[in-house]
Amino acid sequence: MTELPITALASLLGWGVLVGLDLVSVPQGLLSRPLVAATLAGWIAGDMAAGMRAGAVLELFALDVLPVGASRYPEYGPAAVGAAVLSAGLPQAGGVGIAALLGLLVALPAGWTLEWLRHANARDVHRRTAAISAGSTRAILDLQWAGLARDAMRSLVVTAGALALAMALRDRLGPAVAFPALLTPVLVGTGAAAAISGAVRTAGGGRRLAWVGIGLACGMVTAVALAVVT
Amino acid sequence: MKGEARALIRLLAVQGAWSYERMIGVGMGYAAEPLLRDLDAVEPARLPEATARSAEFFNCHPYLAGLALGACARAEYEGAPGSLIVRLRTALCSPLGALGDQFFWAGLVPIVMSMALAAIALGSGGAVLAVLVVAYNVVRVLVTRWALRTGLQSGMQVGTAISASWLPKAVVRVAVPAGFATGLAVPLVCAWLVAPSGARALGAGLVACAGALALLRWGGARWTSLRVGLAAAVAILLLTRVVP
Repeated sequence: MTELPITALASLLGWGVLVGLDLVSVPQGLLSRPLVAATLAGWIAGDMAAGMRAGAVLELFALDVLPVGASRYPEYGPAAVGAAVLSAGLPQAGGVGIAALLGLLVALPAGWTLEWLRHANARDVHRRTAAISAGSTRAILDLQWAGLARDAMRSLVVTAGALALAMALRDRLGPAVAFPALLTPVLVGTGAAAAISGAVRTAGGGRRLAWVGIGLACGMVTAVALAVVT
Repeated sequence: MKGEARALIRLLAVQGAWSYERMIGVGMGYAAEPLLRDLDAVEPARLPEATARSAEFFNCHPYLAGLALGACARAEYEGAPGSLIVRLRTALCSPLGALGDQFFWAGLVPIVMSMALAAIALGSGGAVLAVLVVAYNVVRVLVTRWALRTGLQSGMQVGTAISASWLPKAVVRVAVPAGFATGLAVPLVCAWLVAPSGARALGAGLVACAGALALLRWGGARWTSLRVGLAAAVAILLLTRVVP
C-alpha cells in the first residue's frame, strides 16, 4: 500500500476536526454526514471514488439516526474519514466492506465520547453557576469557548484513532490479501435495512408510509432497467 | 436593537457548550450577548438578570433557536417581567424542538442525503454532492436569519408569528418526499455497490437486508442498526473462516 504524505495526513486530521465539530457544535451543515466526510477524505487520500463508496454504506446506517435532543447516537463523521482512507486504493469488491466495518467499529466508541463531552460541559457549568447567575458575560463566553475547544480536541482524538486504525490496516492489506467476498454485500444489505427502518419509523403510517414503498419500487425498477440497459 | 448580525453568527454555534445541565442554554446566552449589550444604556439594572436568564436551561432545534432568542431579547427591552420571559422560553422549547426535528432531521436532511446517494449511484461525481451541501447550508443560514428576525419583530407574540408562518405547513409537506427519496435511493445504492459482484453477492445482500429488518423491527431496543451491522460483519467473518 502507498504511504500517505504528511500533508495529506495533516489535512485529514483537520478535516476530521471540522467534521466532528459539525455534528453538534458548529455549524451543523451536513459536513458530518458520512457521505460528505468520506468523499472529501477520499479525495485528500487520492481516491475520491473509494471514499464515496465507503461513505455511501455508512450513510445508509446514518439515515437511521435521529439526533434529537439528549438522545445517544453513534458518530459516523470521523469514522467515515478513517473508512475512506482505508478504502482508498483497495479493490471495490472487498475494500468497501472492510472500510465500512472499520467505520462501524469507530462510530460506536466515537458516540461514547459525545457523552463524555456533555458531562464535561455540565461539570464546567456547575463550577461557574454562581457567576452565570450573577449575570457574568465573561463566564458565559468562557463556557462557550471551552465547550468548543473541548469538542475540537475530542474530534481530533477520534479522527486520529480512526486514521491510526486505517493506516495500520492499510499496511497489512494489499492486492494479495483475499477479502471475504460476502462482507460488502452483507454490510450494504444491513445498511439498506437501517435506512428503510429509519424511513418507516419516521413515516409512521398511512400515506407517508405508502410513499416509502413507492420510492422503493421506483428505485428497484430503475436499478433493474439500468442493469438491463448496461 | 443592535448586534443582530453578531447574534446570527453566534447562533450557528448555539450548541457549542451543549450539556446535560442546561442543554443549549449557554449557547443561547452566548448568542444573546450582542443583542443585550445595549440594555446597559436603556436599563442598566436589568442587564445582569437578563444575561443570567438568557443562559438558563433551554432546548430546541438549533436552527430555530433564533425565534426564542429574538423574542426574549425584545421582551427584555420592552420591560416584560422576568418571570414572564422565563415562561415564554419554557413554552417555546417543545414546539420549536418538534417542528425543527420533523422539518430538518426527519425531512430535509434525508431528502438531501438520499438525493446525493441516488445521484452518485447513478454515476454523477462529487459535484452534485457539493452543490447539494452548499444549497442545504444556504437554506440553513436563511432559516436561522428568518428565525432571529421573526423573534425580534414579534417579541412575546412569537407563538402567533410561528403559527402563521411557513413552518407548520412545511413540516406537514416534507414527510412524503423524505420517505420517497429514501426509498428511491436504497435500491440504487445497493445495485451500484453490490451488483458488479454478481448474483451470489446480490442474494447475500438481500438475505442480510431481510434479516436486519426483522431484527430492527422485532429485536428490541438493544438491536440498533449499528449493532446489527457489526453482528452481521462478525457472522460473515466467522463463517468465512469455517467455510472459506
